[in-house]
Amino acid sequence: MKQYTDLEYLKLSKGQRLLYRIASFFAAIPGKIGGLFVGLWNLIKTAAKAIGKEASDIWTTFVHGDWKTKLSYLVMGFGNLARGQILRGLLFLLFEVVFIAYMILAGGYWLSMLPSLGKVGPTEEYNIIFDTYVTTYNDNSFKILLYGVLTIFFIIAFIYTWRVNVKQNQLAEKIIASGKKLKSGKDDLRSLVDDQFHKTLLALPLTGIIIFTVLPIVFMILVAFTNYDGTHDGYYNNLFTWVGLDNFNTMLSWTSGTGAGTQSYAATFGEVLSWTLIWAFFATFTNYFLGMFVAMAINKKGINLKKLWRTILVLTIAIPQFISLLYVSKMFAKNGIINGFLMSMGWIQQALPFWEDPTWARITVIIINIWIGIPYLMLITTGILMNIPQDLYESARIDGANAWQQYTKITLPYMLFVTGPYLLTSFTGNMNNFNVIYLLTGGAPTNPAASSAAGTVGYTDLLITWLFKITTGAESQYYLASVVGILVFVVVAVISLVVYNVLPSIKNEEDFQ
Amino acid sequence: MASVKLTDVKKIYDNKVTAVHDFNLEIADKEFVVFVGPSGCGKSTTLRMIAGLEDISEGIVEIDGVVVNDLQPKDRDIAMVFQNYALYPHMTVYDNIAFSLRLKKMPEDEIYEKVTNAAEILGITEYLTRKPRALSGGQRQRVAIGRAMVRNAKVFLMDEPLSNLDAKLRNQMRAEIILLRQKLDTTFIYVTHDQTEAMTLGDRIVIMRDGIIEQVGTPTEVFEMPRNIFVAEFIGAPKMNMIDTELVREGEQYFVKPFGAKIEVTGEKKDELAQKGIDNGSIKLGVRPEHMVLAQQGGEGTIPCKLEVNEMMGSELHLHVYTEDGTRLIVRVPTINLSMEQRKQLTYGAQLYITFEGKVMHFFDKDSELNLIYG
Amino acid sequence: MSEQTLQNASAPARRHMGLKASRTLANTAIYVFLIAISIIWLIPFVCILLQSFRVESTHQVGYVIPQKWGFDNYVNLFQTDFPRWYMNTFISALVTAALQTIIVLCMSYTLSRFRFKMRKPLMRLMLILGMFPGMLTMIILYRVLKDLGMTQANSVPGLILVYVASSGMGYYVSKGFFDTIPKSLDEAARVDGATRFQVLKKIILPLSKPIVIYTILTAFMGPWGDFVFARYIAFGASAGKNVAVGLYDWLNKDQISKCYTMFCAGGVLVAVPVTVLFMCLQKYYVEGVTGGAVKG
Repeated sequence: MKQYTDLEYLKLSKGQRLLYRIASFFAAIPGKIGGLFVGLWNLIKTAAKAIGKEASDIWTTFVHGDWKTKLSYLVMGFGNLARGQILRGLLFLLFEVVFIAYMILAGGYWLSMLPSLGKVGPTEEYNIIFDTYVTTYNDNSFKILLYGVLTIFFIIAFIYTWRVNVKQNQLAEKIIASGKKLKSGKDDLRSLVDDQFHKTLLALPLTGIIIFTVLPIVFMILVAFTNYDGTHDGYYNNLFTWVGLDNFNTMLSWTSGTGAGTQSYAATFGEVLSWTLIWAFFATFTNYFLGMFVAMAINKKGINLKKLWRTILVLTIAIPQFISLLYVSKMFAKNGIINGFLMSMGWIQQALPFWEDPTWARITVIIINIWIGIPYLMLITTGILMNIPQDLYESARIDGANAWQQYTKITLPYMLFVTGPYLLTSFTGNMNNFNVIYLLTGGAPTNPAASSAAGTVGYTDLLITWLFKITTGAESQYYLASVVGILVFVVVAVISLVVYNVLPSIKNEEDFQ
Repeated sequence: MASVKLTDVKKIYDNKVTAVHDFNLEIADKEFVVFVGPSGCGKSTTLRMIAGLEDISEGIVEIDGVVVNDLQPKDRDIAMVFQNYALYPHMTVYDNIAFSLRLKKMPEDEIYEKVTNAAEILGITEYLTRKPRALSGGQRQRVAIGRAMVRNAKVFLMDEPLSNLDAKLRNQMRAEIILLRQKLDTTFIYVTHDQTEAMTLGDRIVIMRDGIIEQVGTPTEVFEMPRNIFVAEFIGAPKMNMIDTELVREGEQYFVKPFGAKIEVTGEKKDELAQKGIDNGSIKLGVRPEHMVLAQQGGEGTIPCKLEVNEMMGSELHLHVYTEDGTRLIVRVPTINLSMEQRKQLTYGAQLYITFEGKVMHFFDKDSELNLIYG
Repeated sequence: MSEQTLQNASAPARRHMGLKASRTLANTAIYVFLIAISIIWLIPFVCILLQSFRVESTHQVGYVIPQKWGFDNYVNLFQTDFPRWYMNTFISALVTAALQTIIVLCMSYTLSRFRFKMRKPLMRLMLILGMFPGMLTMIILYRVLKDLGMTQANSVPGLILVYVASSGMGYYVSKGFFDTIPKSLDEAARVDGATRFQVLKKIILPLSKPIVIYTILTAFMGPWGDFVFARYIAFGASAGKNVAVGLYDWLNKDQISKCYTMFCAGGVLVAVPVTVLFMCLQKYYVEGVTGGAVKG
């Protein structure tokens, strides 16, 4: 397509400019995708190069190293010990001993079972003495998978440590050769509160994240490739095992009637996903604009009691959400206060189906979410609104802009620019907004056609509440939950990537500074 | 009180950008050295490498003969004054100055002695119990200097300490730094982008561009014998006029022919040209604005030009003129040399003739931009 | 002629009046709007408070003002497991507040101040991890905690572990705050002879009071509102529930007719202390939220 220069572009009419920009956005897509592949290829190349470099480095260190270094390849920390760095040496040695002991005592077993996830399930045998069937429990698929993954983590950590150990020797030889002194254990300890302080600070948080987030996520991703569910719990009733891509096939297939309902999983997934996106869109932007509106109303010159208005709204943040949400959900029930009030006033004859009709329910949750969200947005936007330089408005007024023009030409661009990243996180946060949906409707009203392992998928269910229902449902099809979880990740990641690429706050970082 | 030595020091950032190339410099004990250059030239980076706030990618930094590459800032025995003062906002002035001494576990009465002493010298005694927030820019600057002073450090580092002050205060503080330097009698390294500060403060000036040292020398050396066009233009304000012209040798004599004029090279410059055996050729001729003078009328040695802007600076006029081929030149004329009548005629478009003496010229190679004599 | 002059003279004056009048009109409209939303925002809380004092019936009714007032619902609360749930929540909130604050501050300070090789990859990794629904990990965490005996009736330590362990990932807001403290303060202190640890202790922490309080406050409030993890880990055991799960269960179909007013009373008891605390520290909360949104 034709590329305009800046001056040519400025000559275009408004409509032409818009068309041009849309066209160039789409024209850029093939390049972007190509770029992605090129980037991926480059990543692989650099990774391969790095590994090659590491390997040759390890080799040359071995060839040129003295005997202390050479022995360290087998006995970790030996070089450190022999050169007087007792603390480091002992730590390396300790790690190696623990690792070897673990691998012999347990790790080897877990690793060897990992491909099968257990061979012998629970067996029943007749026990003559008690005159009853007694179950013996054997392999535990759950533990095999969990500890198998843990063992792999451990092996990676070991390889890394071993590499560090080799590097240490190389470094120590170099330092000794240059006639300088090696760091003593005392220096090491001291550096932990000084130049290496970040390691001390990160130790605890990262351990937590690895054990309680990384490990479970890896585990759950793997579960998506097994048949782990309530009837295959891996120990008490049946083992579970690898099933390849079967679960993805189920979730994304158009064959109807595979679940409890009459339609296919793919159709159900599509419905839930589209409602999730609609919900996230409305939940984010209604709150954003109405919150900004409230903030501007309170900020307006000549409005008194600013603090009071803000405090009233902020009060709702303080009260735990489950109380307000549960209560409000009951207020809108058939026999709740709202219907009671409307009927006693004689405005309606029958209770309004706030939670019973799909469309009513969807609109009601969005409206109640506005009630929940406005106070936050009011707080956030108040701060930013106050930061907009007043001279922008003054100059706009001198240029002849009215209030609406000031809003669309100054306030809104500024706000969107500053809060761009926030809007993105808020959008993805709303996609996963479990509390509001679950506490308000629990996903109701039920969609009878939807196929689901858990038996019920509602019209207000988000992917995340659906996931929760699957895991807590009668059949506990964890593998399906995992598949849904992975798909949620994919959706969120794609949206984030796209938005990040067009977000002006990232692209023109300095525009408003 | 110590010498500082930098050998082949390099700074390469993670993104492979080289901020400082092979920096070599020896700073003598008690010397006042100024790093000067446009922003982004690597002067602050170099200072921060000396301070230990920036890793040294390659090369060696020695303070008092000890290699300090791997030492933490706190172990290098240096004091530093930052551009934005970096006063601890939650501490009073007294606590700010006492901070380093307390870290050294000095007894409190000794600290009191030192802090009040420094405050006395800097004239901030009455503010000792205030928080930095309640101080003016100049006072904050003094506190920052006080904080560095009490440490009796081997080397005193200053990173653009005056650039956040207004012009008047800057002149005053500059004078005070000269006094302070005499009192402290220690090694100073001072970073600035302002050539006036560099010229007035430094024993020696290090002029940098794009991570490379362009010239090291005393203020007189860099002013009178600039090694290349960059230094010539950087030092002195307004900057040196550069004219594309021919250098012509006629026997023992040298001439330049700017814009049709013919001016003879005289004095030391002529001797040096002759000594170097320099012949005819295209050159860039540099003449400082203050060395150009207005001629009464046109003639062989004058350049005809038209006046574009007349800046009245008080004691002198800065005349921005352009020659027939459009080259722009600046001429500094002392106000006192012109009568009221003459000054009135210096309006837009006035026809002027300028000239200059033979001994004030600088000759630069057209391609390498090096000074033909000192390059 | 004189009439015309008069007209001319009054024209700007009238326009001025018009401006003033329209401004008054606009402000009145805004006042009406603000009063309306204040009522809408407060009504549920007023209702819940009034219902908690209703003693003539325990089920849901279509009117707000009780016909008979009394403290029966509050007294009855103490016949149930509610005090236990309350203690569970309170203890986990307290411990979580302490530990989570430490972890979050460690993480955010490090990422704000240190430049080490793994910093960018680490931040990217946490960004990606954050895109997985956290609920997914509950399945495995539940089974592991069960093996460790930290579920059902003994849920409190398990809950605390879950709340605290991954809290390092929520570093954004406080990192944004640390980023606003000039780096030259650290550098000045390091030149002055401070170790990194001393810089943190003597310079950064004293300057970070607002963000420390914000972190404590949000960490403390988290467990009061948590429903998912608490429900998972308590797994139906009444002694292991927190207030959210306990009160939620009172509203299911079998219980709601007996427990509705008691739910209101329980809600009031939960809301009051948290709200009071929040209101006292509101200033810091507002600072944190505002700063966090701008940093992204």
